[in-house]
Amino acid sequence: MIEQIQSVLTNWDAMLPVLPQLVVSGIAIGMLYALIALSMTILYRATTVVNFGHGDLVMLGAYALFILMPMVTFNIAVESSALGLLASFVPPFLVALILSLFVLFAMGYIIHRVFIWPILKGPHLSLALMAIAIGYAVRGVIRKEYGKEVLQMPRPFPEQEFEVFNWGGIGTYMTLDEMIFCGVVIVMLLVSYIVFSKTRFGQIVQAMFQTQRGSSLVGINVMHYNNLIWGVGCSLGALGGVMLGLALALDPDVGVWTLLRGFAAMTLGGFGSLYGAVIGGLIIGILEKVLGVFISTAFIEITCYLVIILVLLIRPKGLFGQHATLRI
Amino acid sequence: MNALQKSLKTAAIAIAIASVSGFAAAAERGITDTSIKIGNIGPFSGKAAMFNPLNYGSVAYMRYVNDMGGVFGRKFDVVLGDTACAQAKGIAAAKKMIYDEKVFMITVNPCSGVAMAIKPTLVKEGMPWSGVSANPKITGSVGSGGTSAPPKYMFHVTPNGYFSGMTMGKFIMTKPNTKKIAIVAHTNDWARGYCDPAIDYIESQGAEVVLDTAMERGSTDATAQVLQIKTKGVDGVLGCLYQPELVVLLKAAHKYKLNTPIIGALGADFGQVVQQVGNAKAVNGVFFQGHLYKDKIGSPALEWGKQILLKYLTKDELPKTGDPTHFYYFGLFNGIGVVEGFRRAGRDLTRDTYIKAIETLSDYDNNISAGRVTITPQQHVGVSDMYFNGLDKDGNEVIFSSWGKALH
Repeated sequence: MIEQIQSVLTNWDAMLPVLPQLVVSGIAIGMLYALIALSMTILYRATTVVNFGHGDLVMLGAYALFILMPMVTFNIAVESSALGLLASFVPPFLVALILSLFVLFAMGYIIHRVFIWPILKGPHLSLALMAIAIGYAVRGVIRKEYGKEVLQMPRPFPEQEFEVFNWGGIGTYMTLDEMIFCGVVIVMLLVSYIVFSKTRFGQIVQAMFQTQRGSSLVGINVMHYNNLIWGVGCSLGALGGVMLGLALALDPDVGVWTLLRGFAAMTLGGFGSLYGAVIGGLIIGILEKVLGVFISTAFIEITCYLVIILVLLIRPKGLFGQHATLRI
Repeated sequence: MNALQKSLKTAAIAIAIASVSGFAAAAERGITDTSIKIGNIGPFSGKAAMFNPLNYGSVAYMRYVNDMGGVFGRKFDVVLGDTACAQAKGIAAAKKMIYDEKVFMITVNPCSGVAMAIKPTLVKEGMPWSGVSANPKITGSVGSGGTSAPPKYMFHVTPNGYFSGMTMGKFIMTKPNTKKIAIVAHTNDWARGYCDPAIDYIESQGAEVVLDTAMERGSTDATAQVLQIKTKGVDGVLGCLYQPELVVLLKAAHKYKLNTPIIGALGADFGQVVQQVGNAKAVNGVFFQGHLYKDKIGSPALEWGKQILLKYLTKDELPKTGDPTHFYYFGLFNGIGVVEGFRRAGRDLTRDTYIKAIETLSDYDNNISAGRVTITPQQHVGVSDMYFNGLDKDGNEVIFSSWGKALH
């Protein structure tokens, strides 16, 4: 590692022009972390539960699209089917995407209603273990069915890269995937902001975040709203999974990776803060890239752990978090 | 003692000796008059489950041999054991095979970490093992990545990581004017099993490894690695990576206009990598990978293997696409060598006769691999050579024997 730092300092002139690329790539991957963190934050805002099985639901979102895509394509051939009718207006990939988000919404709703709600007032450890157990179960099923091979998600558009910046003859590139990731996350952040701060639904969720018992006393159907929020959170996570699936091959174990990044982004941004989750994701994305090139590629994997340790030690509420009782 | 008593005593001793020796022969674990019990262990679950086609390839060949009548009237009774590619589970699976299932031998085991963990037990029990794990420390001896004689009962009928890595190094060094090489590798035994011999070879040829950088499993981006490589201005990159990460590296190399050949190790399926990169420009004339077989997968020369795999594996054991991948043929390759040992050992089968028979494999043509199989008492790694897959500028798959030299 020391040799690498010395090498960087010696070749500073050669290394400096790659910095814009590191920042751009960091932002692009950070947007993905941000989306995962955003979905975990939404879940946390309503129920004050950190879903430690969330990464596997993100992974399931990607597999759901992979599984649904051939069904959609097949049904398109059957013109009289409902899917065939829908697909005549929107591309098949989009149909499969909408269906997979719906499937994950239903899964989130059911998971909360069947597995989380009955033990919600129990020890925090039970909730964490239940979430982990559900994640493992989901991963096990997917691995059993699809673990024998590395699969590729169907792509709705070809991979392309664009030079967005040039410094001294060294280009800074972004792929179409990365541009779309950034656009989707920005839209999702705006939608989340509007829903959670400008609508009655958001007010109810905020009330539940502050006190579920109090919300119940004023007539809010807490269980129903919790179910809905779990559905929305899982659905948003699935969107992250689909984006991840486009960038990578499908892998049943991607959930662990996803959870750690999302959790680190959420910790850095502050538990419960929507824009904190996004800023946290971006910072971690950029840090991974910069430390990876300028110190050692080993830092790419450990940056999220370092962030979690440092934030919890120095500023436990994160950059934009509020003091609140944390139910893990 | 009269003559009759002497005769009876002699006869009794003779019967006792015969009984004991007969019992000993009959008691060779895992062998009956009609069967040979084989333990086939591998990652049937866990994050390395993508390597279990190696197990199924061997299973298919043994089912095929059974269908042909077996070996000297004995049919293979294959017991599958899950290691999940985790050392603790691997040790448990191996012990179950040895002590509960009482198998004659253990085979396949794609994971190097598991192979190293179970090696002491196998050596202690004198359990024959034929595996496909890469780590040269498993069966290597002087000249094949080890430092001493090979373990008596353990062998590879395929190349180990030492020879695979060495051929990666040889291949890139046949590219004219190659002076500077970069390595991108996982930080595990498997990857170092490939890359370290490659580095030794490259340096022995006067070239320099200017960068040896890590890429962890599960990495979703190789920006840092590729930008590091770019600043070094290398002539070639060796990627000791599993398939998902190799795909990530190739995509990043194309995105950042690296324009340098990338040589992959055997932890990936060439065809699937090309498909998953999904961009001809990122692989044509750029990506090369070790190729174990005498011709292309899907070629007429290997059609017999495909037919065996399709006929003797169930739908669940085959890929979702139904078309066997490189790892299935790798398993077949191992199975053929293992079965040949039984053919050579004859009817009076013991562990010692089996190992002696395996050690008679000399320049053996198994009709599948690029290199022929030779195993001796001093050398328990059967194959030391392989070809390389690549794509020409039009995207056609080409098998190379060295840089720019196509096999056909």
